[in-house]
Amino acid sequence: MTSTALSEDRVDRQAKHQRSQALARREALAGYLFATPALLGLLVFTALPIVASLILIFLHYDLLTPPKWAGAENITRLATDSRMFKIYWNSLRLTIGATLLNNVLGLLLAVGLNRAMPWGLRYVLRTSIFFPVMTTTASLAVVWRFLLTQDRGVVNFLIGQIGLDPVPWLSSSTWALVSAMIYDVWKSCGYLMVIYLAGLQGIPAVYYEAARIDGAGFWQQFRNVTLPLISPTAFFAIVISLIGAFQIFDNVWVLTEGGPGDASRVIAMYIYEKAFRGFEMGYASAVSFTLFIILITLTLLQFLGARRWVHYE
Amino acid sequence: MSKLQTPSHPNMSRRDMLRIAGIGTAGAALAACAAPAASTDAGADSEPAMEPVSVIATTSMPVNTFDNALDRSMERIPGIEMEVNANGWGEGGWDGYSDTLLTRIAGGEQIDVIMIAIEGLRLLTAKNVLVALDDFLAGDAPANEILQNDVHVTLREMLQVDGKQYEYPFSWNNMVMYYNTAIFEEEGLDPPSTDWNWDDFLETCLAVANVTGGADDRFAYSFWGAGMFGMAAWYFNNDVSPLSDDWLDSNLLDPKVAETVQFMADLILEHKVAPSPEGWDEWAQFHAGNLVMRTCGRWCIGGSLEAEFETYDIQYQPHQAGPLKTVAGTDGWGVSTSSENPHEAWEVVKLLSDTDTSIDMVQLGGNIPALRSVAEMPVFSEYGPPNTALFYESLDFAATVPSPTNFNIVEPILNRNYATIWNGERSVEEALQAAHDELQPEMDKLKA
Repeated sequence: MTSTALSEDRVDRQAKHQRSQALARREALAGYLFATPALLGLLVFTALPIVASLILIFLHYDLLTPPKWAGAENITRLATDSRMFKIYWNSLRLTIGATLLNNVLGLLLAVGLNRAMPWGLRYVLRTSIFFPVMTTTASLAVVWRFLLTQDRGVVNFLIGQIGLDPVPWLSSSTWALVSAMIYDVWKSCGYLMVIYLAGLQGIPAVYYEAARIDGAGFWQQFRNVTLPLISPTAFFAIVISLIGAFQIFDNVWVLTEGGPGDASRVIAMYIYEKAFRGFEMGYASAVSFTLFIILITLTLLQFLGARRWVHYE
Repeated sequence: MSKLQTPSHPNMSRRDMLRIAGIGTAGAALAACAAPAASTDAGADSEPAMEPVSVIATTSMPVNTFDNALDRSMERIPGIEMEVNANGWGEGGWDGYSDTLLTRIAGGEQIDVIMIAIEGLRLLTAKNVLVALDDFLAGDAPANEILQNDVHVTLREMLQVDGKQYEYPFSWNNMVMYYNTAIFEEEGLDPPSTDWNWDDFLETCLAVANVTGGADDRFAYSFWGAGMFGMAAWYFNNDVSPLSDDWLDSNLLDPKVAETVQFMADLILEHKVAPSPEGWDEWAQFHAGNLVMRTCGRWCIGGSLEAEFETYDIQYQPHQAGPLKTVAGTDGWGVSTSSENPHEAWEVVKLLSDTDTSIDMVQLGGNIPALRSVAEMPVFSEYGPPNTALFYESLDFAATVPSPTNFNIVEPILNRNYATIWNGERSVEEALQAAHDELQPEMDKLKA
């Protein structure tokens, strides 16, 4: 090959390379443009509050007057805040109880509704169970307050009819959190039922047919076919319900207002109290960061643990 | 060897983009920390605007109280487009109201005219949210004349801080005992006398209560179980207060505080004549005849008018010790420091405090009007129970509801601890000690 031919080949390759780079630039630009709306949303509504919250931790700020430098004061205060620890304990109990009950009940309801039944009955049942999810929390919680009131409440009236003593559903430190949990499960399990139902309907019928041919009964099919194949759905449901339960606010707010005392106060209410009642934005940010860290840790642990029990086909 | 390359952009790498986004986010975060700028010309020195301007007032009352005032505003202050919106009560009473209001203002919402009661007044003035009205009053003789001569001095002074008038009084309340006259008659009881005491009250409770845990339960009395105003109605009649006289210290360890709270707790836990306050719907149960007595201000007439419930009357709270006292609290209208049109806002303050608006409130069964002339009108007694004159008469021996600057912190502390008494989980002494331990450090912050 002559030197001229070599030179032409180099020019040709350079031109190809430049065209390829130009194309890559255009693709990258198009990609960034497509991603920009979502990215902006993420920046404004997620990243900005996180960064602002991080900065606020080191400030005394009451929303109305300019912030003042606080150093590590808000962080050291966390260690001595006995109310916060008590409230975290409430949140933890509520989270474990609500996540467990919501998922077990959601799965059982989904399995029940996935069975053959008249279509009319199926739609009535699905709609009824999902109905609380669609209704506003505040109005439902007001109704539940009337139901659970100790004196002249409907639930205690019914309990009285079978000869039992009235239960202080809302006024007892023991029962207030249980009431909040019952309300949350009633309100949220319909949502998880829909998720589990979608997961169940995605399991190919051939697996059940094969299991039946092998002589497996309902329980064996559920244990050896349904549970393994629905595990990705269950993993998703558990992650979102656990995060949601830790962030419960409105349910408890309307039902018990966190009382009696702090017996049913949860961490989101405490953050709100510090931020918008005490106007201690710095300390509220410090508390919310502890929640952020706890949720990230729990989610990471779940992802790590998922390798052992989540099965993808 | 060919190498699969990740498409790159020479001028805008992913790292660059993330860096720019990070800087932008941090900048925006810092900007978000800046306090909203208050109007620099807020006050009495700015010139009135020439064009029609929007003036937004926010209130604790049902907004329909001001429907007629809105109509009148078109005629009386045509250059002003007036709007009255409701400010949420949050979790509690005036403490929650103040918090919601401050959050709205901090969020940059336009609020020109603010209704606040004494409970939240000091918090708002400490946050520099209200303009002192003294300059407006100095330049407005008719408004000042009304304030000086038609508004009781107690009401006027309640809305002053450091000698400055921050709110123009509109209405006020005390707490009286509402009782079901039909049940009293049915039980052969005389109406309570003006000078009844706690023993008389307890005797009455035991006579009218019928609580067996069934559907026909009838409770003698119920109280909120929370809230400074409701509790002060009982404290003041035992010559004590939960705070020191200067509102700078906790007074929860005073034995008379314990005596008062014990008396109230016993109504629930020992005598079983009062229900647990949690979740209890006092209004509905009173109107249904399942509750015989309740403590409330004049605003409770509104609910009875709506329910067309007429078999009730009122009497002073039963008395225990010290001079006769009734708790009182006043609300009024003030001008926000964030208002860009303070002169127009002042015009709205006057319109929303005038005789016609006061009459509208009275007819809806709202608070007691601050204007004596309205309280003396026949309409005041027409829209109330037979003994309705008692509302305004009590003003001469009214004592101001404790309203420290940190009212929004104090009230929730008290409420949280009271709740553990009413449910019997802690003794009165334990709960008051816990409340004191939490309250005193907060009060000490006021002195720092």
